This record gives sequence, C-alpha cells and structure tokens, in this order.
Amino acid sequence: MIDFNLVPLLPELFLAMAAMGLLIVGVAHGNSVTPVICWACAAALVVASFLLFGMSWEKQIVLNGMFVFDNFAGFMKLLIILGLITTLALSVKYLEQERISRFEYPVLIVLAGIGMMMMVSASNLLALYMGLELQSLSLYVLAAFNRNSLRSAEAGIKYFVLGALSSGMLLFGISLIYGFTGSIDFGVIRGALEGLEAIPFGVTFGLVFILAGLAFKISAVPFHMWTPDVYQGAPTCVTALFAIVPKVAAIGLLMRLLYEPFLPVHDQWMQIIYFVSLGSMVLGAFAAIAQANIKRLLAYSSIGNMGYALIGIVVGTPEGAGAVVLYILIYMVMTAGVFAIVLGMRRDGIAAEDISDLSGLSKTNPIQAYAMAIFMFSMSGIPPLAGFFGKLFIFQAAVSAEFYVLATLGIMTSVVAAYYYLKIIKVMFFDESIEAFDKDIPFARRVVLFVAVAFLLVFVIRPEAIVESAQNAAAVLFT
Amino acid sequence: MIVQAFAFYLFAGILTVSALMVITARNPVHSVLFLVLAFFNAAGLFVMLGAEFIALILVIVYVGAVAVLFLFVVMMLDINFSDMRKGAMQYVPIGMVIGAVLLTELVMLYGTWQFVPGREQNIADPVAAFAGQNNTEALGQLIYTNYIFAFQTAGLILFVAMIGAIVLTHRTRAGVRKQAVSDQQARNPADVLEIQKITPKTGV
Amino acid sequence: MIELWNTYGIWTAWTLLYIVLIVGGVMFSVAYLTYAERKVLGGMQRRQGPMTVGPFGLLQPIADGIKLFSKETIIPSQAHRVVFLLAPMMLFALSLVAWAVIPFDKGWVLANINVGILYLFAISSMGVYGIIMAGWASNSRYAFLGGLRSASQMVSYEVSMGLIIVCVLLCTGSLNMQEIVLAPRPIWMQVLLFPMFIVFLVSILAETNRTPFDLPEGESEITGGFMVEYSAMTYALFFLGEYANMILMSAMAVILFLGGWLPLPLLGFLTFVPGIVWFALKTAGVLFFFLWSRATLPRFRYDQLMRLGWKIFLPLTLAWVVIVSGTLLSLDALPGQKEKANLLAPVERSVESLIEGGEEILRAIESVGDEIVGDEAVDEE
Repeated sequence: MIDFNLVPLLPELFLAMAAMGLLIVGVAHGNSVTPVICWACAAALVVASFLLFGMSWEKQIVLNGMFVFDNFAGFMKLLIILGLITTLALSVKYLEQERISRFEYPVLIVLAGIGMMMMVSASNLLALYMGLELQSLSLYVLAAFNRNSLRSAEAGIKYFVLGALSSGMLLFGISLIYGFTGSIDFGVIRGALEGLEAIPFGVTFGLVFILAGLAFKISAVPFHMWTPDVYQGAPTCVTALFAIVPKVAAIGLLMRLLYEPFLPVHDQWMQIIYFVSLGSMVLGAFAAIAQANIKRLLAYSSIGNMGYALIGIVVGTPEGAGAVVLYILIYMVMTAGVFAIVLGMRRDGIAAEDISDLSGLSKTNPIQAYAMAIFMFSMSGIPPLAGFFGKLFIFQAAVSAEFYVLATLGIMTSVVAAYYYLKIIKVMFFDESIEAFDKDIPFARRVVLFVAVAFLLVFVIRPEAIVESAQNAAAVLFT
Repeated sequence: MIVQAFAFYLFAGILTVSALMVITARNPVHSVLFLVLAFFNAAGLFVMLGAEFIALILVIVYVGAVAVLFLFVVMMLDINFSDMRKGAMQYVPIGMVIGAVLLTELVMLYGTWQFVPGREQNIADPVAAFAGQNNTEALGQLIYTNYIFAFQTAGLILFVAMIGAIVLTHRTRAGVRKQAVSDQQARNPADVLEIQKITPKTGV
Repeated sequence: MIELWNTYGIWTAWTLLYIVLIVGGVMFSVAYLTYAERKVLGGMQRRQGPMTVGPFGLLQPIADGIKLFSKETIIPSQAHRVVFLLAPMMLFALSLVAWAVIPFDKGWVLANINVGILYLFAISSMGVYGIIMAGWASNSRYAFLGGLRSASQMVSYEVSMGLIIVCVLLCTGSLNMQEIVLAPRPIWMQVLLFPMFIVFLVSILAETNRTPFDLPEGESEITGGFMVEYSAMTYALFFLGEYANMILMSAMAVILFLGGWLPLPLLGFLTFVPGIVWFALKTAGVLFFFLWSRATLPRFRYDQLMRLGWKIFLPLTLAWVVIVSGTLLSLDALPGQKEKANLLAPVERSVESLIEGGEEILRAIESVGDEIVGDEAVDEE
C-alpha cells in the first residue's frame, strides 16, 4: 500500500495553498493590493522556512519514491526561499515605478519557488521533469511580464521557445535512460548502472541529452544564447530573480542527478561537464568585456559563475560538492546586492541600464558606490571578501582531485573577469560624475543591500559555520 | 491478424503523410486541418494498442478543443505564411546537418541497443495489478495512488499556465459598455419610472 | 480464403446490415422530424403547417428531398473547392457515425465499447469542424462570421457538457452506454442529477446551434451564416446533419438522464412494450423540447451566449461535480463499492501525518524559542 506521508512536502503544500489564497485576494481587490500581496507572499515564504527548520532532516523518500527530503534538499530549499524573499523585497517598489504592479507577480514567484523546491527534492525522473516545468513555465510568464514593452515580450518568447526545446531534449534523454534501465526511479537507475562493465550507447546518449536540457536551465555554454537577451529584456526585478534563484535549484537538481543515479557512470558525464564548465568560464570572462549594458554584463557574469560552480561538480568528491553549495550561496548574496543597486539606477523616474550611467557614483552617492565596489571586488574574488572563499574552496577541491588544468583555467579566467568588474569600479570612482540617481531608495532595498554587504565582509571572521553546514548538506548525496 | 496489420499501416501511413503535409502545406488553414487528421490517426493507433481511454481523450482534447482554437486563430490572423518562410531557407542547411546528426545517433542507438540485465525486475508494471479491469478504471486507480505527486504537480502547472494566459493577455479596456445582469435585475421600477397623469391639453 | 470469410466475412455482412438499418432509421426520423417541426411550429402559431402533399401533408419531406436532389450544386468561384465540398460531407458523416454506440434496447447496439460515452462526446465535439470549414471555405464574410461564431459557441458549451457527463458518470461508474442505462438510480440520485439535466438540455440546444442559440445561422443577421453559399445537395447534407445531430443529442439526454429503453418510473407494468418504443418515445419528448423552444424563445445576443456558457454554466457544473462526488462519498454510494469501506482512509492518514508533523514542528520551534529565551535570561542575570 502506498504511503501518503505528506510531512516532507509541508513547505510546498503550505506555499501552494498560500499562493492560491493570495491569488483569490488579488482577484477580489485588484492591482492596488499588489504590495500587500508581495509582503504576504514573503511572509508565507518565511513561514515555509520555519516549517523547514522544524522538520526532521533525516532522509525520507515518500509518495512512491517520487519525493525525497534530506539534508541537502533542506539546505537548498532554505537557499531558494531566501532568494525568493530577497527578490520579492527588491521588486515591490520597482514594480510600482515601472507601472507593472500586478498582483499575479508575487503569486507567480511563489509558484516558481514551489517548482524549484520540487526540483531539488526530485527522486524520480518524472518528478524532476514536473518540478522543472512548473518552475520554467512561471519564469516564462515573468520574463514577459512587462507586456507593454517589446523587449520584455521578446525575452518571454525567446525564453519560452528555447526552454521548450531544452525540455524536449531532456525528455528525449529521459526516454533513452528509461528504455535502457526500465525505470525512472533514481535508486533503481543507480542499481542498474552499477553492475555495468561497458557503458552502452543508449546510456551515454541519454545522459548527453539530459545534460543538454539542464545546461539550458543553468545557462551554461553552449546553451547560453538566450541568457543575455532575456536578462536584458525582462523587467529588472525579474532579471534579479533569474540571476539569483533558478540557478540554485538547477545546480541542486544537477548535483542530485549526477551524484545519485549517475554516479556509477561518473567518467561519462565528467567529460561533458568538464567542457561545459570550461566553455562557460571562458565565454563568461571574454564576452562580458565588450558589454555596455549592465544587465547584459551580469548575464555573462552569471554564465561565468555557473562555469566555476560546475568545476566543483566535475570533481565528484564530497569536498567538491560542498564547495559548489557554498559557491552558490555566496554567488546568490553577491548577485542580490548588485541587483539592489541596479534596481535603484533611475533618473527622473526612467531606468538607466548602461554601465556609463554609473559614472562618478562615488561623488553623487558614495554609500551605493562603496557597496557596489565591495560586490565587484567580491565577484572578482579578492580576499578577504566572501567571493574569494567561494572560489578558493572550488579550486582547492579541483586541485585535490588533480584537475589541474581546470583549476588553472579557472584562475586565469577569473583574472580576466576581474578586468570588467574592476572597470565598473573605475567608472564609479574615477569618471566624470553625471546627474545623480533618484534618491528614493525603499527601505527593503536598503536592508538587502546592508545584509549583503555585511555578509560579504563578515564571512571571513567565522567561515567555518557556513562552510560546515554546506559540506554536511552536500555530503548526504554521497552516502 | 491481416486486418490488424492493415489497420496499423493505414493509420500509420495517413499519420505520417498528414504530419508531413502539416509542415509543407502552403495554406496555414490546410496545415491545421492536416494536423487534425494526424491527431485522429494517432488516436486510431492508441485504440489498436488497447488504450481506448487515451485515444478518445486525445480526440476530445486535441481535436475537439485545441485544434479548433488553432484554426480559429489561424483563420483570424491575416498572415502570409509563405512570405514568412522566405527567410527560412537560409537555415535549411543547418537544420539538415542537425537532422542528419540526430538520425545517425538514432541509427547507432537502434543498431547497438541493449537492455540492462535484469531489466524485468526494474520495470514498474502497475497495470498487472489491474488485470481484468478496463483501462479507464486502472488509470484512475493509479493516478490517485502511485502517481498522485505527478498528477497534482501537473495540476499546478496548468494553474500557472492559466494565470500566465490571463496576465499576458487580459486587458481592461476603457469605455467598453458591458451588460451587468445583476444590476438590470436589481432595478426597481419605482426608482426609475415615473408615472405622470397627463390631463388633456396641458402637456407635461 | 474460406477461413478469412468465416472469420471476417460473416461478421462484416452482419455489421453492414446493422449499419444500413440504423442509417435508414435515422434518415427516416430526420425526414419526419422536419415534418414534425413544421407541424408543431404551425400549431403553436395557429396555422396548419404542411397539408397539401399527401394525406395531412405526410409526403412533404419526400417532396422536399426530391427538390433538393434535383437542383444544381453551385460552387462559388472564389471558394476553396476541396474544403468547401468536404465540409458538408464531414458534418453529415459525423452525425451518422455517432449512432454506432447508441443502445436502442438491451443489447441492440452496433459497437458495445466500454468508453461509449467518451466516443459520443468525441464525435460530437468534432462536429464543429464541418461548420468552421464551411465558413472558411466559402470565402464569404457572412459565412466566415457564422463559422467563427459557431466555433467559439461549441467549444464553450462543450466544457460544461463534459462536466455534466462527469456528474452522471460518477453516479453510474461506467463509460459504457448500456451500463449507464442499467446502473441503479435511487430517487435521491435522480434529484441530485436533475439540475444537471436542465443544464444539459440548454447545452445541447447550443451544441446543435438551435434557437435560441442559432447565432451561427442567424437568418436575420447573417443570412444563414456558414450555409449561405451552399445549395442543393451540399445544403441538404448540412440540413440532414443538423437534424440527425438533434436526434442524437436527444438520444444522449435520454440515455444519460431518462433511463434509455427502460419504462418510465411508475409505469413498470408496461414492460411488455419493447424497449425501442420507450426509447423512441423519450427521444421524441426531448425533441419536442427543441421545437418548443424554437417556437417561443428569441435569439440570444452573442455576449449573452458567452456569458451564459463561461460564467454561469461552467462554475455551476464544476461545483456540481464536487457536490455529486461529495454526496456519493458521504453516503457510501459510489458505484462498484462492495462494502462500506472508508474511502477517505488515505486522505485521513495523510491529514493525520500532517497534523503530527505540524505538532512536531511546533515543538521544535518552541524548544528553539525556549533556548533563546533561556539565553536571554542568562544574559540578564
């Protein structure tokens, strides 16, 4: 008899109920209550994180082997919830300024969040796909949310078409794996692959297609083409969401998939991830140099950062996995901080998006300039900021597993990447100052800015606390 | 058996030809009509597999609703599709290369396909438990037990799709007069009518 | 060869015979439905209706048929020829193939498939193609308007029809037409389904484009709608198809709600009357409703039609599905349920587990809270 133990799903269930309830409230009261619904959604996410904290983090697999909850899933879900709350806090004011303040926005964010949480908890290829689709569909809509803007609509369509293509590839890969092993359950697939002497074509091709599908979702080379256009076209608060949260879920999903069912064919997927990682790092570093638009620049920066995160996955050791989780966490905080500033780039109520718009920010608004400088230093990996430790642990793991080429190239590309991060600092501090940005920075955005800066600065004092919990979370995958 | 084989090749043949016609027909309305034919033959194949429930749901949902809306949109839009296709020719070589790669892969897969040893134990065969029941009942019992998670998630996905469609397309236009039935019903003759006694030769 | 004949030939021959019988019967009914329509309308408007051709005008439908046969089929020069000719054929063929699953009496059915009602629903949902194709292929504005109206109208009403069918299926537990008729129906179930019967009657008016929902034809506004360019035999096929559909929908209503070939309640002593007579009588009753509403109701406006379909029928039927299933569950009356079993057990189990999990979480949060408070207390000291 199937067990209907729903306790591991409590946060998701609660969020789904909250989303539906708040949608009804929105329908009843119209768009004027959007800020209220945004904060209510944030509150629901806080409650969900309490539920997560209170749950037993022992490994449990429920609902016919479709859903798994363990230390890793719990940790990743906390990161996702944190990212969603941050995005909501950043969005409220921006939505009003852009006149796209519609009550569906927070509801869609929460629904995307449910999809992401299902992704990191998937224990079955079917559950994986369903979670992925729930997340992607919400994000397609959000990308086109500013429907009066041609660019936003273009971003939505582009993202949708390519996303649908990648889903098709993922499904094709899944069907090959299913055809070979006769099962979609992670545990059974692992069991089937463990006893193999030679890896048949079917598995390799299946793996290639699944990885291609997932590489789309984390915007890794060679499936990164959509990223700059979508980042630029989507409303900036949605871009912030894209940069911060889905990556966490997709990386979590990738880790579970590669370390649980496909660990026995490590040498097969290692080569693929190796080149994807390499390509992402190189492209992220070099293509960003020529960008004038800050959203496009951040798109390439996120491609590069995914490249670094993938190094940790290639390594295939618990240290590597722990380093990935830590890297993602730090990346999230840095990106949130950067977007808190980018969202504030407005002159006379019109959003400014070019890097040159930051000219002389140190004179017109020194606090923002110094905060941005900290983020940029951290992103380029300069000690003692947190960004340095993220990269450090990744490269350490790579070196200890004897991936010298990858580690060397990683360090070299991060030096190249440092060029454009530092260029922004140069623009802010040494260029002629131009007209100041609008002053009204909402309280929530200040809080995000402050927390991000504080985290990056303070991390060096007691890194063990976070490093250890990240490593504990990742270690579960290897037991 | 001859009849089954004949029916299979009939359905499969028409399906393939009409699928080809969908992408080659010059007139978009004809494309949609061929799509309908393709759906219909796919349903026929499902019936031959003994999955009559899925076959009829395919007809009801795709033929009866989805394709009608396609047709609706295609008929309403005045797009010259052959003009749109002109630029597409330059991408044909790339498409051919990708198609050839995929085809080679498929051929390789087919040629070397092997199953994992002991695959029989892996296969979840939920249908075995429902021998003697028709497939509607079996489907119903499985969806609400073993696959409840996937089923409910699918529901959430459709929910998101619905919200998305409304968010992206619904506009409240100013100056449109709509019939408010409840207001009409609530009107009271005493409030809006005034009966005047008109005496002759005086006027109101 | 002889084996092949024995396996398939005889079966084919019998099936063909049945088909001829059914089609002949349907065509005969269609002919006299038109006669009945004119007589009923005449009666309701205090005139006589057809009365010159044959006794009481009984040969009128045949005369009409001969007239349509002998006219010339005109195909407009700008029309899309193939689609233009395909449309009426399709509509007509669809209105006939649906009869394959209709049980006229116990065992009197051509194809006793176990998803009969779905088949019927699928076929009736395809009927819209004939109309939309005709509207488009005529290359005429009135026809196009008619086609568009019809497409949106039929799609709208199909949704609530589907939900009504679900209500009935919940009570009968089978998709087979015969089992739907034979499923036991206590009085409370009849009462429960009665509102759905009313909604179904209205929906089939819309589904067959009959007054007051005849906007696709709308003689007074779009001069016949999708049929405006059709003449002679092609027109006759539309005409036959429409009336055959009316009879089909009435038969569907009879099977779903009125007990098919079974005698009416309280008239159980009339079981010696053959089932097909009962079936025909009940169908005729529903058909009378069609004619009656044509004679009495004015045409809906388009927005009113859409409003009725999407804003009233859809929520109502959706709610009714929940009500019916809830009632069945609480009364332990689900079809196929042998013993009084607690079907909600899994739900209860999951709710229990949720409550337990919630309590555990509360405890955990409390203990954390205690720790914090405890720390503060220590600090204060």
